[in-house]
Amino acid sequence: MLFYQNLRRDLVKTMQILKLDKKNLNEFIFSLNDFGEVHAPVKKGDKQFVFSKLTDFSKIKLEYTRTILPPKKYFHPPTDTLFKFSQEEGYQSLTEELRKKYVIFGLHPCDIYAIKILDLIFAGEFVDDRYFIRRKNVAIIGLDCIPDDKCFCRSMRADFVEDGFDLFLSDIGNSYLVRVGTGRGDDMVRKTQDLFKEVNKKDITEYKRRSDEKKNLFKVDIELSDLPEIMDLEYESKVWEEIGKECLSCGSCSMVCPTCYCYDVFDEINLDANHGVRKRQWDSCLFKDYALVAGGHNFRAERSLRVKNRFFHKQRGFVAQYGRPSCVGCGRCIEACPAKIDIIEVINRIRGAKL
Amino acid sequence: MSTRSTLAKVKNDIYQPYLARIVKVLPQIQDHLLFQLKFEDPRMASNFTHRPGQFVELSVIGSGEAPVSISSSPTRPGIVELCVRKTGRVTNALFRLPLNALVGVRGPYGNGFPIDKLEDNNLLIIAGGLGMAPLRSLLWYALDNRTKFKDIILMLGAKTPGEILFKYELLKLIDRPDMKCLLTVDKDEEGIWKAHFGVVTKLFDYVELDPATTYAALCGPPIMYKFVLKELLKRNFSKDRILMSLERKMKCGVGKCGHCSIGYKYTCIDGPIFTYWDAINLPEMVE
Amino acid sequence: MVKPKIGIFGLTGCAGEQIMILNCEDQLIDILGAIDIRYFPTAMTKNDEECELDIAFVEGAVVQPKDEELLKKIRQRSKLLIAIGTCAVWGGLPAMRNDVPREEFLEKVYGTKGKSFKSIPAQPLKNFVKVDLSISGCPIEKEQFLKAVASLLHGDLPLLPSYAVCTECKMNEYVCMLVGENKLCLGPITIAGCGARCPGYNIPCHGCRGPVDEANVASEVKILKEKGFTLRDIENRLRSFAAQAEILQEQFKKE
Repeated sequence: MLFYQNLRRDLVKTMQILKLDKKNLNEFIFSLNDFGEVHAPVKKGDKQFVFSKLTDFSKIKLEYTRTILPPKKYFHPPTDTLFKFSQEEGYQSLTEELRKKYVIFGLHPCDIYAIKILDLIFAGEFVDDRYFIRRKNVAIIGLDCIPDDKCFCRSMRADFVEDGFDLFLSDIGNSYLVRVGTGRGDDMVRKTQDLFKEVNKKDITEYKRRSDEKKNLFKVDIELSDLPEIMDLEYESKVWEEIGKECLSCGSCSMVCPTCYCYDVFDEINLDANHGVRKRQWDSCLFKDYALVAGGHNFRAERSLRVKNRFFHKQRGFVAQYGRPSCVGCGRCIEACPAKIDIIEVINRIRGAKL
Repeated sequence: MSTRSTLAKVKNDIYQPYLARIVKVLPQIQDHLLFQLKFEDPRMASNFTHRPGQFVELSVIGSGEAPVSISSSPTRPGIVELCVRKTGRVTNALFRLPLNALVGVRGPYGNGFPIDKLEDNNLLIIAGGLGMAPLRSLLWYALDNRTKFKDIILMLGAKTPGEILFKYELLKLIDRPDMKCLLTVDKDEEGIWKAHFGVVTKLFDYVELDPATTYAALCGPPIMYKFVLKELLKRNFSKDRILMSLERKMKCGVGKCGHCSIGYKYTCIDGPIFTYWDAINLPEMVE
Repeated sequence: MVKPKIGIFGLTGCAGEQIMILNCEDQLIDILGAIDIRYFPTAMTKNDEECELDIAFVEGAVVQPKDEELLKKIRQRSKLLIAIGTCAVWGGLPAMRNDVPREEFLEKVYGTKGKSFKSIPAQPLKNFVKVDLSISGCPIEKEQFLKAVASLLHGDLPLLPSYAVCTECKMNEYVCMLVGENKLCLGPITIAGCGARCPGYNIPCHGCRGPVDEANVASEVKILKEKGFTLRDIENRLRSFAAQAEILQEQFKKE
């Protein structure tokens, strides 16, 4: 028994914190190629960012706000071929590309938190192994961030993560504090051991100062505590109809949401009318056909009901299932919505705040 | 919210359909066929079992996948019976298949009826329209385990005799002494119907029900629920003793794809059997 | 297996759909192996004008009385009639200005000789005959056509997207032309299937595939106005490809 207690203490100790000089960052990232294809945030267009294969260190945008698509694309890609089929051989699982190894560098805490939420969904009674095989093959290196006017991760309690990453980098001026979260993270650090230093008192003071400072940088805030009850009470609110009038059902919010996981499944057959593939593809509860059953009955025929369902599922339904909203406050839906439907404003309206 | 435990569980593909052969097709009413399926893999054929009220995901190769409730009883293993209405892309394709064709089946899914709770109680089964498809599984389960249940009552309503699923099978039950089989139709143009006429709620006049020891299992069109629920509540049925099988759009059947969500629950894993109490406490559940 | 008999027809249009079919070079052999093309004058010299067809693919809008006549004949001889391309599905470019009398156009283009033509306001096929399936696009997408043929060969009606271009744009992680670049983009109300081809080249969606079902045109117009576009600019763009779509007509009547 004592042996296990000691072992456990040792294991806990492995969550170590080191220091990486900023000038050594490129060398460190270069070394990550041994753990998989390195992807990092790069610029797309004038103002936007995407996680993409890193070909040139100078392209990394460490100060990025948010990427167009969240990292879910690595575990639950927009389109995923599940099976090939034929009349003779039935359905054969396609798993080849699941095995590809990636290292994604620069995930913000909200995105890491979102992955932890996706984990809950794809686990459960039936475990989606396509998701989890990919999940195992993708290393995650987190990076702290400065909130902009659309970030409300702090309200959603996703501004800080204690796990869900292999390494996590926090800016403390000339260097990063590097938290090691997994054995794989430990391997990464040991591979370039010389680049890392011990953390001293000054570093800790600086980390705490910056962490404190960040708390005050949030410009938007949602009160979460009694939100489920208020959403229940306002189930028939006119607000939903008003938003229903604005919503385009374009699906943008669902696609860019780091925790929207809904998908459609369909078969594609070849010209020989025998062989083909079964695919799954991202879907959105805002689409007209989402709850339409064969035979023609649509359980959510009106747009306002679909809009309501989306907000309900994020902020109310998920709380009932898992004890917290599935929203992490990344701000992507606010940025992506052409109709400027803003979740913070919607919740404030539901709460009856005067705008 | 540790992710470590979930990462260890990966082992097989939950979406894998297993090949099954259509060994027999029994015509039912118009646009409804009863398909008898047998798994190709003998191990699957002998190991497959289910709870009444559960469903499978049925694949027609090249056309897609759709959820279908299981109509056979687990007391009669080896063959899986699916009563299918020709209504969508997959079911249309299924109807085109010849005898002995292969289809894909995975499951069973859903909670099914809480058999443990139902045992030692009276069982009141109320069906309308295609609602008999999942309830037939429960009915035969109860009849095949007759000693485990007290009174068994079936009430079924249809527009005409020609629209009763499993008609000949059910007509035979009328004479069975160990259960009460009450069938009613709105009208019979052929003039040969010998059972009851009128709406299904009229059948309540022919039975005595003790709400404390009876479970009611319902499946049918929304309009039927409305009137039957009223009748049951009038007779002091606890909302926990009223069980309903609900339909929603489904894709994955295993609680991932999101389509069948009602309020906070998924029809595919939390249902399709819900108590009336669950139903009224979830937004969106009953219209 | 008996190969299904197919006809590929063109009414008034640019033959873009038919060219697209011919452009399926890598699959043409497979297509010909699977179907029996009886009528395709753009590609063949020997065409059967009378035989019954399992599937007729019809391109182009109805712009002349003889288009209507041909279309009705096609319908009579075909089990399935499939509209291909935006002209056939929505009326397309020829239907942009149905509010202007045809005589004015004829005179402008052909001078006094225009009087010898007969022209009617351009309309989609569905205004004249039952259309079993619509594959829109200007031109149609090769992949979509091939998948549709494969589905039909298997006995199923093809699955076509019912969502908007935005969805595909986001899946491809393109920069948003509407929100990000403030361009006159019709992505939110245009039916997908093109893989957001234009936004991928930094060109806003012009709506060439026509509107999605239940398109929220009012909200789209409001958004564009807020961005500073004039109603005239917005309506001109809306009119370009699917001016005859009811859901867009509602908008034109409004203001």
